[in-house]
Amino acid sequence: MSNLMRRMPSRKQVMSNRSRSFFAKSALIATVAIVLSPVGTLAQSTAASASSNQSTTTASKDRWLHVRVLSSDAKGETVRVNVPLELAEKVLPTINKDRIHDGKVKIDNAHVNDVDLRALVEAIRTTKDGEFVTVQSNDCDVRVAKQSNHLIVHVLDKQNSKKSEVEIKVPMKVIDALFSAGKDELDLVAALHALSGQGDTELVSVKDHENTVRVWLDSKNITD
Amino acid sequence: MVLLAKAAFGLAGTLVLAGAYAFHEGVIRIDVDEYRSGGSHVHLWVPAAAVPMAMHFVPSKHMRYASEPSREALPVLHAIIKELKKYPDADFVEVVDHDQHVRMRTHEGKLQIDVDARDEKVHVLCPLSTIEDLTTQLEKRGPAA
Repeated sequence: MSNLMRRMPSRKQVMSNRSRSFFAKSALIATVAIVLSPVGTLAQSTAASASSNQSTTTASKDRWLHVRVLSSDAKGETVRVNVPLELAEKVLPTINKDRIHDGKVKIDNAHVNDVDLRALVEAIRTTKDGEFVTVQSNDCDVRVAKQSNHLIVHVLDKQNSKKSEVEIKVPMKVIDALFSAGKDELDLVAALHALSGQGDTELVSVKDHENTVRVWLDSKNITD
Repeated sequence: MVLLAKAAFGLAGTLVLAGAYAFHEGVIRIDVDEYRSGGSHVHLWVPAAAVPMAMHFVPSKHMRYASEPSREALPVLHAIIKELKKYPDADFVEVVDHDQHVRMRTHEGKLQIDVDARDEKVHVLCPLSTIEDLTTQLEKRGPAA
């Protein structure tokens, strides 16, 4: 009996062993949790970084629309806007306000002075390259032409002592897409989609004595 | 004594885990400094994960009331944020003149808006995922829902 008692651990010893075991397990779990929590955070940031890197890689395929306005007036304002075309394509259909619905903008006849824009575009599209409008006067020079599947509008304003110049160059595919919606509608999303298929190109350039405006398309997510 | 140690250890462990969870999405940081008499100075750091979680406890009528003015803008904002997450860090808008510098950019998965003007400085930093969560909840619990 005394031997049996000697072999059997006392209640205090059992509790102590259990406590020690429990304490050891808790400490282990807590330590692992503490050690792993930054690893988890690190993993997330690594995943985010990897995702970012992936985005940077895919960014080369992404097309970015850039707008830059440089003003040389007293305020010396500079505006830079960089928008991924795909983002614009996805966001535009969510805007339903006034004339904009589902990525399309409504135009009424009042704004186009009864000109059948669709027929006009179709005529330009099917016509060979050439100059459609050339105006040269003391006040201004205007040139509208089709060249290498681009519609080019060039205006040189000579009225002011300091000249201003506007040049717009739009791929014909973009114009086609723009007018691909129903009657009295411009399909902005389709136009953006068509634009994203174009190479690096300058779309709008405005220069006068105070401001320079550039709108262009490339694959960089930064402005030069 | 052992019981007390266990309790303390458990509490400390819970706090560490809760802290790690609360900050795993980063922080929402808002700093506003108005340099004029009576101008306000607000410096707010909030764990990003806490905000969408806290919104679950906001009564529905208050959520409807809050989302009503932004009802039209919410789908647009949601679409923008969802798309922004796909892109690398980029400066989206930057306006600089003699008086101020305004910049809106994404940086490491966060939307960063900085306004540095002569009389005020505003800096807002918010994880894109948090904004997405917020807009999703506002859309779901808004008047139309």
